[in-house]
Amino acid sequence: MTGSVLRDLRDLRVQVVHPPDEEGKSLVEHLKRIGCMVDAGWPIPDSPSPQADILVLAINFDAREEIRKLLRAHGDLRAALIAIVDYENPSTLQLVLESGALAVIEKPIRPFGLLTNVILARSLWLERRKTDRKLQKLEAKVSGMQKIQRAKAILMQSQQMSEDEAHSTIRKQAMSKRTSMEDMAIAIINANELLTTKFPRS
Amino acid sequence: MKSEELIVAGDPWRVGVMFSQTGVTAAVERTALQGTVLAIEEINARGGVLDRLIEPVITDPESIPTRYRSTAERLMTSERVRLIFGCYMSSSRKVTIPAVEAFRGILFYPTLHEGFEYSPNCIYTGACPNQNSLQLARYLLQVYGKRFLMIGSNYVYPYESNRIMTDLVVQVGGKVLDEIYVPLDAGRRDFGKAIAQIEKLKPDVVFSTVVGRATAVFYEAYHDALGPTRPPIASLTTSEAEVADMRPEAAEGHITGAPFFETLATPSAKRFVRDYKQRFGQDAPVSACAEAAYFQMHLAARALRRTGTDDPDLLLRELRESEFDAPQGRVRIDAENNHTFLWPRVARLDAAKNFQIVWNPGMRVKPDPYCVVQSLDDWSADPLTATAS
Repeated sequence: MTGSVLRDLRDLRVQVVHPPDEEGKSLVEHLKRIGCMVDAGWPIPDSPSPQADILVLAINFDAREEIRKLLRAHGDLRAALIAIVDYENPSTLQLVLESGALAVIEKPIRPFGLLTNVILARSLWLERRKTDRKLQKLEAKVSGMQKIQRAKAILMQSQQMSEDEAHSTIRKQAMSKRTSMEDMAIAIINANELLTTKFPRS
Repeated sequence: MKSEELIVAGDPWRVGVMFSQTGVTAAVERTALQGTVLAIEEINARGGVLDRLIEPVITDPESIPTRYRSTAERLMTSERVRLIFGCYMSSSRKVTIPAVEAFRGILFYPTLHEGFEYSPNCIYTGACPNQNSLQLARYLLQVYGKRFLMIGSNYVYPYESNRIMTDLVVQVGGKVLDEIYVPLDAGRRDFGKAIAQIEKLKPDVVFSTVVGRATAVFYEAYHDALGPTRPPIASLTTSEAEVADMRPEAAEGHITGAPFFETLATPSAKRFVRDYKQRFGQDAPVSACAEAAYFQMHLAARALRRTGTDDPDLLLRELRESEFDAPQGRVRIDAENNHTFLWPRVARLDAAKNFQIVWNPGMRVKPDPYCVVQSLDDWSADPLTATAS
């Protein structure tokens, strides 16, 4: 895991949103030194670069409105966020928490530690993306299973089938119609609703 | 003569020199100290820098990493020194740099290291892995084979250096048969298990990152156990200084990769070796560290002359991108990472314990201290050409 993150370091696109002062310049220089592709800009843009893998953002409390706007456009998990902070007061911490930063670099920025934070943020981001995808898959699976369960109950009641018979009926139907069991189950649920609803005569 | 003394009028430039003269790495650090002293004497013989002599404050941190830090702090506080020339092991450099940064000084570091470091307050004049591991690996894989066994002293440099070598070996379908670590001050008995393992696994090459005085102990024990038909030990840290402590038959046939060897036949290298031996004795070994220590002092003096101050910020600005005709060839400080463009070479020890250069690519290589994946393909020079100097 760490190995591959390290290996990919030289392909990482890093967007730096930091004033172009001495510290900002040395930050960009060191990111380049460790081999990242850097795109530096200031003032705070309305939305982050869609190509960025990592967003390094100076969290300055005075610019909180612009930062919040950028973060809203940033959405979830578009790039791994590294926050740069100059204060450790509750207001700044609140912004850091809201930002969803995966790593934090404190000012004054020193070269030592930057590589560690880049690697950490990227690896947490990759892990989180993996977990998110897994979660989405599981949610879809649970919802499908609920539908099949419901369709089986309909068949068992209306056709006097056992649970096994209901299950294999849905499976066979799905196969012959070249569709998934879940879609078949939805069709059964919809049909059942249609047939059992008492429509007012017009 | 009174009149001559008057020429050099100003207060001397005081600089700190921090190489161990005692402890496990004393032998090689002494060569770096002597390279430093030789350069200072040359500069002073020509009247110093802007009519001020260079006055070294020479210290001995006894090869104990924590002592480098306290020594550096003392140099920069009570001795009021801003420039320090020193360190050998990475562990000593790692503890010195925070002190140098805190007191706003500069550390000139003349030793190879494992990369993944940059301090704006450090000038690195030794090789990083893309300037020695890569070339050494290529030579070994081509000449000896693909089955490696790693042995090293137990600290940060050997681990990282072995990781890089493993990467290179695996890239060409080679194999690392084992990776063994011994204590820093290992004695003959500590190598028993490793040598038994080498006899059993029969690698094509033993890659050694054993440093300091344990090096000679290892090479001799290895020779005694396996005899003259043994596979070669390849190293980046076995320099003339370590070889000086070995019996000739134990040294013969082993390989080292470095930018400088005592036997280098260029006029500037010959001149440097001659002057060094004239000053410190015909038997005094001249290592790559000595050469880097020598040219970095000259680089620093020239920057002092141009800026007229030892203010580190101004000096660093002057040092970046500066070039110098070093004994190994023309070197250059990289503006981006404070490391040095160097000339990689590979040499083999002959029966008289002299390094004979077996591959000289004749190419100056840009330092790339943050190179995660070293690729043999990036190194396109032909190893079959160029065997002289």
